[in-house]
Amino acid sequence: MYTRISLLLCGLLMFAGVVTASIAATAATPAKAAAKAASGDIFPFQVAQTTLANGLKVIVIPYDSPGTLAYYLVVRTGSRDEVEPGHSGFAHFFEHMMFRGTDKYPADKYNDLLKKMGADSNASTADDATVFHIVGPSSELTTLMDMESDRFKGLKYSEDAFRTESLAVLGEYNKGVSNPVQPMFEKLRDLAFEKHTYKHTTIGFEADIKAMPGYYEYSRQFFKRFYRPENVVLLVVGDVKPPQVFDLAKQYYGDWTPGYQAPAIAPEPPQKERKKGHLDWPNPTHPYLLVGYHMPAFSTKAVDSAALDMIGDLLFSESAPLYQELVVNKQWVDLVQGGPNDNRDPGLFIVLARVKSDDLLPKVKETIDRYMQELATRPVDPKRLARNQSHERYAFALELDTPSKVAEQVADVISQTGDVQDINRRFAQFKKVTPADVQRLARATFRPQNETEVTLSHPAGAPEKPAQGGDKHE
Amino acid sequence: MSDSRRLAGVVLLLALSAGVAGSGTAIAQKTYQAPAANTAGAGIEVVELPSASSPLVSIRLQFRAGSIDDPAGKEGLASLTAAMVSDAGTQKRSYTDLVEALYPMAASIDGRTDREVTLIAGTVHRDKLADYTALLEEAILRPGFAQADFDRNKEQLLARLTNSLRSNDEALGLELIQDEIYQGHPYGHSPVGTVEGLKSITLADVKAFYKQHYTQSRLMLGVAGGYPKDYVARLKQDLGPLPQGEKESKRLPPPPAVTGRNITLVEKQTGSVGIHFGFPLPINRADADYYPLMVANSFLGEHRTMNGRLMQQLRGKRGLNYGDYSYIEYWASPPSTSNPSPNVPRRQQYFSVWIRPVVPVDAQFALRGGLYEVQRLRDQGMTKEDFELSRDFVVNYSKLWAQSLSRRLGFMMDSRYYGMPYYIDEIDKRLKNLTVEQVNAAIKKYIQTDNYRAVFVTANAQKLKETLEKDEPSPKTYNAQPEADVAEADKTIQALKVKPTSIRILPVDQVFQK
Repeated sequence: MYTRISLLLCGLLMFAGVVTASIAATAATPAKAAAKAASGDIFPFQVAQTTLANGLKVIVIPYDSPGTLAYYLVVRTGSRDEVEPGHSGFAHFFEHMMFRGTDKYPADKYNDLLKKMGADSNASTADDATVFHIVGPSSELTTLMDMESDRFKGLKYSEDAFRTESLAVLGEYNKGVSNPVQPMFEKLRDLAFEKHTYKHTTIGFEADIKAMPGYYEYSRQFFKRFYRPENVVLLVVGDVKPPQVFDLAKQYYGDWTPGYQAPAIAPEPPQKERKKGHLDWPNPTHPYLLVGYHMPAFSTKAVDSAALDMIGDLLFSESAPLYQELVVNKQWVDLVQGGPNDNRDPGLFIVLARVKSDDLLPKVKETIDRYMQELATRPVDPKRLARNQSHERYAFALELDTPSKVAEQVADVISQTGDVQDINRRFAQFKKVTPADVQRLARATFRPQNETEVTLSHPAGAPEKPAQGGDKHE
Repeated sequence: MSDSRRLAGVVLLLALSAGVAGSGTAIAQKTYQAPAANTAGAGIEVVELPSASSPLVSIRLQFRAGSIDDPAGKEGLASLTAAMVSDAGTQKRSYTDLVEALYPMAASIDGRTDREVTLIAGTVHRDKLADYTALLEEAILRPGFAQADFDRNKEQLLARLTNSLRSNDEALGLELIQDEIYQGHPYGHSPVGTVEGLKSITLADVKAFYKQHYTQSRLMLGVAGGYPKDYVARLKQDLGPLPQGEKESKRLPPPPAVTGRNITLVEKQTGSVGIHFGFPLPINRADADYYPLMVANSFLGEHRTMNGRLMQQLRGKRGLNYGDYSYIEYWASPPSTSNPSPNVPRRQQYFSVWIRPVVPVDAQFALRGGLYEVQRLRDQGMTKEDFELSRDFVVNYSKLWAQSLSRRLGFMMDSRYYGMPYYIDEIDKRLKNLTVEQVNAAIKKYIQTDNYRAVFVTANAQKLKETLEKDEPSPKTYNAQPEADVAEADKTIQALKVKPTSIRILPVDQVFQK
């Protein structure tokens, strides 16, 4: 069985089940966890937090994982920040460059140290953030502080290394283009957004990727603009004590010079008319339908984000009537997923379906529309909302069984709002959602003039070279 | 750090708000005991991993029913049967009602078939354990076998072959290299099946397969987490209605011999070329030689890390592509993940190299580059320093594979399947006693570049075929000045003889067809 939205593609993180709320104190023992549960918070762990004088926020979550920690650096810069024309995909490219070494820790030495530890190390870039992670022995915390602060303060690479790495990024682009869904996302965003940088996917446009080797100087500026302490959150989850982490953070990151330059990101004007696009796919495939609706930015200040999450589940969870009709009863599609893409700025509510045949495409779209309009016009049964809330709570609990999973949850909310407290706040909003909220959000979202539709199918004739898309890249 | 200490950590204290917190009296499991064998009772083999402080319970039912059990002409029967258990209604309730019942607990019944086993599994919060168990038992003991569910699941599997696999170049190559290596062998078709095989399967076939293979003697039951003391005994008893069945595993013939360089070019419209090559290995993780080879493989191409020489040389120094890895076991996890999946045991394994998509002009060079590094490892072996670093890495890194109770349980079940001590502990124990001489001897014994099968997923297959057959030098051009050692090595790489012994073009719409 599939749970909702794992969007087979590259990390369109729909954030289902990532309920939220605020963080109190507690957690490293069951008794404390139980006490914390009584507080009403969804997040069962103690969160300690401080901000260094240079603006670096440090979050520590002790976790009963003897000997192990998850060390995350969340840079609140993603493809959203690529405001200069011709530089789409640069945040992701720069993530690659961060592994090219420093004077103190050249790339080989850096890799060997992590290897010696047996650490799992990688990074990923999405719309709103670039996240670097290491899961390894907590006994190496000091070394990790030294290595990681060193590259964030003093990254150094040659132009040759820069140009060579650009080819690895092109390779990453190439590996993705065989999946029909990726070019569909590229098309959808390009159509749906006129001004905002969500117009391009995280990997970027092909032409921009191919031009990357010529932007060495730009890359140095990129580092200076965005890799600054005020724009970064250090997150450590695992077998650690907050005072120790804070002391080390101050020691190793304290001299990191601030200077973050926030980009001027153009707001997206309201969409005025329905938009449509189509891609011919050169290889045989079932046709696909991808639809996007503009929606508000993620926020815990009101119930809207929580209500949209619920709408996603009410429409597209496996038990939802829409899913049952399309997948189980009529069997017109072998895949249908949907939900809000919770972004820092207003993003898209996404629907994706793979349809059995071309002639069924309009019928599938009509069916989805019908269920959306039903939500907009008729109050949903409060019992369904209660079931949804139960689902979200348990789904969240299932996602906290390792330090890195906890860190992932926290990193997500940091990328959206910068505030870990929003985990609990979000869950608190879930509990407030009413049938009227669902109706209101469905009405506001599922409007024809707010809709962008992209289809993809295999024509009988001439193939064309596929384009590309995608939303999270490593 | 001892492994038992690590486990204790995983057994965290997940508490849900609103009164679904873990037990306030539970104590984090500080004294993990070695897996306890318990084969008494209803004939079901049991693996337990209790953890009083965990609020979660994972249940894994592993049946010795894999694609090796598919009858000829009915390829996909094991998978379709699994889907009719995990993704279908029961005798008591429709599939719609089943998912409706599972939804509030955020639980699912997941089915997955590999070459040798089928896994039916799920994880649930212990608040909901009784409700979930009842549903799971219902699905396993009393599947509904409704025609509508059968039609839907068959279509889903067909779509997985004709859309998901054929459309995704990387997934296609990862699956097809196995079919190629095991031609004519029970491993020789995808567990998903073949298009023609699936089409020929009837509901009666599924019922018969279920009756024969979903038996007590074929079942290994694994339970981990914060379940009550008598839970496993009750579950085992509840599963008593499963027929006893036969104990014997299907005998496997030796893997087919691979002689020479055998290449399959999958022709499809695509902008780049993905490459895999490999050959059968006569060992698996139950063999002593597996462990020195594990260190060598990590040095050569540890999945999704920059540690491997393939990755460092081909991507890091040459910018050839996105990733380059090697394996001595089937990699079942999604490519983007870094930890291997449990519950995919196979008695026979294979060595392979995966060169992720390259631009077409570099395809021949990429094959040569991969082979060059494999042969260099064989010729030169590992230095003591390389050996120690890679050994230490694997010893520590492997402990991260079993961080959650659920994954740990899976590896425990694998170990039982292979008839060996707990795998993760075994890595620690065996690697700490290894010498570089043993590793280099294992490399010489098992790794070679003369006899392999390779799969290219490519457009313009005829042109690539001609290029490979001509076997002319394939100089690599760069967009930056390569380092001196790279330029020097390229002189050898570009001239490596890779002329195919056999080469064929397979249109993509014929892949997984029959």
